[in-house]
Amino acid sequence: MDLLVSIESTALGVWVRQSPSLLAFPTILALHTVGLAFLVGVSATIDLRVLGFGSRKRPASMASMEAYYPIMWVGFWINAASGVLLTIAFATVRLTDPFFYLKLVFIALAVVAVYLIRNRLRDPSLDEISMVPTRLLALASLVCWTGAIVTGRLLAYFGG
Amino acid sequence: MDSFLSIVEQSALSQFLRDNPWFWPTSEILHFIGLALLVGVIGTFDMRMLGLGKAVDIGSLHALIPWGVLGFAVNLITGTLFFVCLPRAYIGNPVFLAKMGFIALAGANVLLFYVTGVFRRVKELKPGEDAPPPAKLIAASSLVLWIVVMFCGRLMPFFAE
Repeated sequence: MDLLVSIESTALGVWVRQSPSLLAFPTILALHTVGLAFLVGVSATIDLRVLGFGSRKRPASMASMEAYYPIMWVGFWINAASGVLLTIAFATVRLTDPFFYLKLVFIALAVVAVYLIRNRLRDPSLDEISMVPTRLLALASLVCWTGAIVTGRLLAYFGG
Repeated sequence: MDSFLSIVEQSALSQFLRDNPWFWPTSEILHFIGLALLVGVIGTFDMRMLGLGKAVDIGSLHALIPWGVLGFAVNLITGTLFFVCLPRAYIGNPVFLAKMGFIALAGANVLLFYVTGVFRRVKELKPGEDAPPPAKLIAASSLVLWIVVMFCGRLMPFFAE
């Protein structure tokens, strides 16, 4: 517990939590939301296509969606960085909250699903049959991202 | 204006929302899911117009737009409920008014896209083909506006009276 207090008491932690500057806590929160929108939003868009919404095109035509993966990773790293800052600033509350760890598990599972979907879409032999597990992964990704958003919001409301 | 705010504030719905401890967290969860859907679907379509992922069949991305509209509808409903719950807090907040202004601009941008014939040219694009400059301008405006809208939404509580 002393460790968490000392994390929170670092100059960085104090700045994020207490600085009156709009560039501190408010901007970090805003960046965390923009990162979420692009990470989860683009992932959900790919998931919807994999699930067959939007077009009846052959699954193989979906490999080109890989162009949007870098955008997801930009969103991911914005949120990893802003998330670390928010965790440092509220270490005693966040790191003792089970919802925090549940959120991290949801994010980890969603990222694994996103990777596996990409690998499957890259496979030129992808057909309607091998598309079934890909669709299950897309569903898992949507469920996990929803879980991450729900636990993230609950952290803000019921945390400490 | 003041009497309008009083009517909203004293409505049964407003009182119900204020008395319900689950209203705010539940609606905020939906508001975040809505924004991800809206920005994800519309933003991916915008990025395709800007030239990212040109190999992607743009029609298949446009076919997902109803999902983006669903996200917007969810946020319009939950956002209206937030306002009904605490109308005075919102009206008195300059960043809320700015957010509404930017959403209106984003709406005008969508209108421009569909009524000026830009969409008709975009619709004809084949995989590998680049969108015309007016489409790129609209796409870039859309991305910037939605990012600004999200920023305003997040900054709002820090400007509450």
